[in-house]
Amino acid sequence: MFKMSEYSFTAGLLCVGLASASYLLGFVWARLAHGTSVPALAGAGVAGGTVTVPGGTVTVPGSGSSPSGLAVYGSLLGWLGLAFLTASLLSRTIAVGHGPFANMYEFSVAFAWGVVAIDLAFERHYRQRVFGLVAMPVALGLLLYATTIPATAEPLVPALQNNLLLTVHVAVAIVAYGTFAVAFAAAILYLIQPAGGRPGLPRPDLLDEISYRAVVIGFPFLTLAIVLGAVWAEVAWASYWSWDPKETASLATWLIYAAYLHARAVRGWRGSPAARLLVLGFAATLFTYFGNLFFGGLHSYSGLDQP
Amino acid sequence: MSQAARVAIVSGAARARLHDLGDGLAIRPGHRTAAAWRVFTSMHTALAMILCLAVLAVIGTLVIQAPTGVATDRRAYAAWLEAIRPRYGRWTALLDDLQLFSVFSSIWFRSLVVGLTTSTMACSANRFRRLWRAAVHPRTRMTAAFYDRAPSSASVRTLVDPDAALRDLRRIFNGHRFRVVVEREGDDVHIYAERFRWAPFGSLLAHLSLVLILVGGLVGSTWGFRNPQLAVPVGSRVDVGNGTGLTVEARSFTDSYYADGRPSDFASDLVVYRDGVPVAGQIVRVNQPLRYDGITIYQSYFGPTAVMQVAEPSGRVVFEGGVPLEWVSTDGRHVIGRIALPDTGLTVYVIGVASGEVDPNVRPGQMQLATYLTGSEGGPIATQVVSQGRAVKFAGLDVTFIRERQFTGLIAVRDPGLPLVWGGAAFLVGGLFLVLFFRNRRTWARIRRIAGRSEVLVGATSRHDSAFGADFERLVDEIKLALTGPSAT
Repeated sequence: MFKMSEYSFTAGLLCVGLASASYLLGFVWARLAHGTSVPALAGAGVAGGTVTVPGGTVTVPGSGSSPSGLAVYGSLLGWLGLAFLTASLLSRTIAVGHGPFANMYEFSVAFAWGVVAIDLAFERHYRQRVFGLVAMPVALGLLLYATTIPATAEPLVPALQNNLLLTVHVAVAIVAYGTFAVAFAAAILYLIQPAGGRPGLPRPDLLDEISYRAVVIGFPFLTLAIVLGAVWAEVAWASYWSWDPKETASLATWLIYAAYLHARAVRGWRGSPAARLLVLGFAATLFTYFGNLFFGGLHSYSGLDQP
Repeated sequence: MSQAARVAIVSGAARARLHDLGDGLAIRPGHRTAAAWRVFTSMHTALAMILCLAVLAVIGTLVIQAPTGVATDRRAYAAWLEAIRPRYGRWTALLDDLQLFSVFSSIWFRSLVVGLTTSTMACSANRFRRLWRAAVHPRTRMTAAFYDRAPSSASVRTLVDPDAALRDLRRIFNGHRFRVVVEREGDDVHIYAERFRWAPFGSLLAHLSLVLILVGGLVGSTWGFRNPQLAVPVGSRVDVGNGTGLTVEARSFTDSYYADGRPSDFASDLVVYRDGVPVAGQIVRVNQPLRYDGITIYQSYFGPTAVMQVAEPSGRVVFEGGVPLEWVSTDGRHVIGRIALPDTGLTVYVIGVASGEVDPNVRPGQMQLATYLTGSEGGPIATQVVSQGRAVKFAGLDVTFIRERQFTGLIAVRDPGLPLVWGGAAFLVGGLFLVLFFRNRRTWARIRRIAGRSEVLVGATSRHDSAFGADFERLVDEIKLALTGPSAT
């Protein structure tokens, strides 16, 4: 089982890597193709993208040239990578006997899984094969990071010996982090476009909306993750809130996304400022995530050796 | 209503409207109140405060924070400040002046929390009436102009009369699980269809639950207590104190480790007594605290205990029991416990060698004793090394180090605010899922009779919600299909 988990991880890593490359090449290709001549640019605007109809937007598929073809491969590879990562996490769960969320390696793979899964779900739902352009490299980065840290499964220290809360608390956080990665991807694609949009990319206001939908899903999940963390902290650490650095960082993340949700209702904050908040929010998410490494505190699971 | 209009109404003292604005809060029509109300109900203000709070939270993660006990103790804080000075250099004084070493009790944090709480309550009061009216007395009739200008709208010429059209519309809306309100106006029929009528209240619930959580925290810190250092030697009983009338006994303590040296389990077999009668007992582990009568006892730490006996020359025993060696010397090499002897005015410190350390003066099976005059700032009046099992004359007392055992370090907590905090947390999560996952959908339709047949106008307002746009399209398609037949398209 352990071996199988490792092989699946490597396969997943390769797929996500190739998916990232496909998305990026597809994007660069599209840019080159559209940049060469003015008639091509005009044609491309009609060939693909989204059009507005009263009451909503409808996506018109591109006309099947190489750029979108590459994105299709990217998406397919993404699904394949997702399957391998799922297999890796499942076999590891069986091998270690608890949710694969107990150390940095396991959590990195799970985080990458969340990013890929939610990215693909959004691409499918909105029929836009573009978020992978940003989300896949994020997942790739997490997986590459996972290769640099020990993958050994160590038995759980006393504080982590709570199978139910360990699994649910972290699984819920993974959903939140994954949606925030997609919101970040859409925000980046929003910010790199001029106001009128750019051929080959979804229209800015659609991206704005997709970011919002992602946060609308992610925010309640982040809240739930924090609340479950508080429930666990009350059981294991004798206090539901101790201003532990990880708690504090998660609060900062929560506040930034709360600000984003409010910002969309305030004139002058819609559009680019809101998108920048999403970039900031994802930075905070990563900060919260990597926080384990450098700020110590209770989440470093130092055990019981204080005086 | 725009902000400007709102202020004009307040200063104009239009009473009916004022009541409407204040939602029953007693607001006098003064400029200052109005201005304050405007500031606190402004989304700009809320947004700015949320972002400032986020900045403080980030500072709280990046700048090392003084431990809880230290921050409230002047002397300990000064020592702590010196200890971190090498790390922050000449910024130390500035950071200290700005209260950034205890961000979460700083004036900035407190002001922001108070400001946001006020703003949250003001906004909720402001919104409640509007939401209530929209849910209970929604506007059911829309003018023709609405259907012209609505972000989503359609008009369908049907082949059937208005009554048949109404029947079909009702069926279609019900099929989409919309509730339907029908009103007739002359020949025209107005239809108001709505789904997830109560979902908008989720937002209100989520906002107010934050206030509830804060109140819970306040209740806990005001009427609760926390004893983070309750060291109970194995085989002894120790008072929980804080007016609980409870005593806790540690029957055993075991610490287990994996082969690689990391801890695998800490378990204390505890019995809780009230007036000498056992009332609760269990094996307490890190994830299994003991809960009794509103008091929770947690496993937290452990260490060595010196079981000591101290007697006066007359033979009267003034102390007998375990002395938890629960403090560690600054160099980390010694562990220290304390025996207070109020009758003699002396305090005896029992000093052992920390596990893994070697001290040539204090060998295994020995303890060092140091006696001080209680309350004096001077040095020890006597020091001596004692061996296990041998009584020694020391500072005019007969002292015996009987044996070494372990103590289990517990945390005892009573937090009466906990139900409020958990209730608030449940409302927060529930409210957020309600408002963000079950979006309130409102659609209006109007049926007009045109030469025996009918025309149906459908319109909806939806902000930032293309999912609704797509749903609306589907709805309109369905209506077209039902009222005009497939051949008519």
